[in-house]
Amino acid sequence: MTHLVSLQAELERSRRRRQWVQLLMLALVLVTVLGSIQVIIIEDTDWDRVGTFGQIMESVGRFMALDWSLIPHLGIPMLETFLMACLGTLLGLFFSLPVAWFGALNVTPSKRILYPFGRFLMTLSRSIHEMVWALIFVAAVGLGALPGILAIAMRSVGFISKITAEAIENIDPKPVEAIRAVGGNNFQVMYYGILPQIKTVVLGTIIFEWDINIRRSAIMGLVGAGGLGLTFFRQMAMYNYGGVTVVILAILSLILLGEILSHYTRKAIV
Amino acid sequence: MSILQVQNLKARYAQTGDDILKGISFDVAEGDFYAIIGPSGAGKSTLIRCINRLVEPSEGSVSLFGQELTTLSARELRKTRRHIGMIFQEFNLVNRMSVMDNVLSGRLGYVGTTRSLFKLFPRSDIQRALELLDRVGLIDHIDKRADQLSGGQRQRVGIARALMQDPQLLLLDEPTASLDPKISRDVMQLIRDTARDLGIPVLCNIHDVALAKEFCNRILGLQSGRMMFDGKTAELADSDLERIYELEVL
Repeated sequence: MTHLVSLQAELERSRRRRQWVQLLMLALVLVTVLGSIQVIIIEDTDWDRVGTFGQIMESVGRFMALDWSLIPHLGIPMLETFLMACLGTLLGLFFSLPVAWFGALNVTPSKRILYPFGRFLMTLSRSIHEMVWALIFVAAVGLGALPGILAIAMRSVGFISKITAEAIENIDPKPVEAIRAVGGNNFQVMYYGILPQIKTVVLGTIIFEWDINIRRSAIMGLVGAGGLGLTFFRQMAMYNYGGVTVVILAILSLILLGEILSHYTRKAIV
Repeated sequence: MSILQVQNLKARYAQTGDDILKGISFDVAEGDFYAIIGPSGAGKSTLIRCINRLVEPSEGSVSLFGQELTTLSARELRKTRRHIGMIFQEFNLVNRMSVMDNVLSGRLGYVGTTRSLFKLFPRSDIQRALELLDRVGLIDHIDKRADQLSGGQRQRVGIARALMQDPQLLLLDEPTASLDPKISRDVMQLIRDTARDLGIPVLCNIHDVALAKEFCNRILGLQSGRMMFDGKTAELADSDLERIYELEVL
């Protein structure tokens, strides 16, 4: 009986201790949030320029006055954006194959040099933002869709090659052994033993990446790499807010189209 | 006439350096159905794989029709592997490929890289594949994916693939271990009959002693990488079996 009582008291104490800790954590979060608001919003904003509530509504309203006259000029940039995503994805896939080959532990030609090199390329590709890649290529090859395609390709390599390499590492080694046993060369071993096993994963990844690349190519124009982004940038520069909204709607419909297409193609292959 | 000669063959694990095979010697002659029996871990699979160098032997010699295999270059090795058909315990088919493509893949050592890229196998190969699929009783399943077949059917695809190579020697690595007893006998029978018809000697790993006694004319008993018995099936006495399996627990 006394045993039970002491046990209960012990439980009670630990519960109260936990409650105190929770309260302390909550206070800490509150102080951090309030401090941040004070420093980066209240002190950092130029309140005189924000204006009254009416003025804010007026600014927002300017975006609502849609400029439909822009529509005939959107066809070409939309197509350009779409093709930029397609070509960028294809080029990215092309670069991904050797990177995945290097970076998959079970097939890499050299575990000590090419494997870490392949892994490094995967990380490099993903750790540089697509806009930064675009800036680099605009500087290198000039304005237009080409730097956009290159930027999207470089940004896609990381994801496609990483997923592909992981799929290669997870294959069943038995068919590979069989193809080696019939006298197949290295290419035949990969083509007959490995490729059929990773095909659906890789196809699914490519479609997913293509879907994302439509979003990426829609903003490429902001740094001069062609497509709808460039139209967006021009409208903004002309303070034609109604036009900006129309461009945003165009981007939205393009992305929606990509979403629908990728949904059905993924369904068809899986 | 001896077709395959193995002399003082040794193999060891790369990591620990322990010997798996401690000097194995035997001859496979024309018309032989040679069984390798022994407890698990005796080195049966390693021995079979040392013949076509899926595992590299560390010492000793393997010669096929008088040609030494252990010193071949990668290119020569691939050429020689074409003549050695292999049938696996778990069939080792490419599951996502059709039965036909799996059988045709037995010809990969003969067709060039470009042809194999587009799966352009010569018409004679396709003809041969159809004959073999008919022979193993799968002519109605050629377009199915390999993973839609039952275990016994899959092993028949494996047999057809091996025969597609026009092999001069068949290596079987526990061909029946993934099959039930009835199908096991059917598969062994199919292999024995076909090998006899085509005049191909067989070297077969098998843990089922009853099957080995029934189908094989010679038996090699292996225990911890050592040969405990080598002789005609009729000469294998119960005392020999006891020696081969004496270390096995359970």
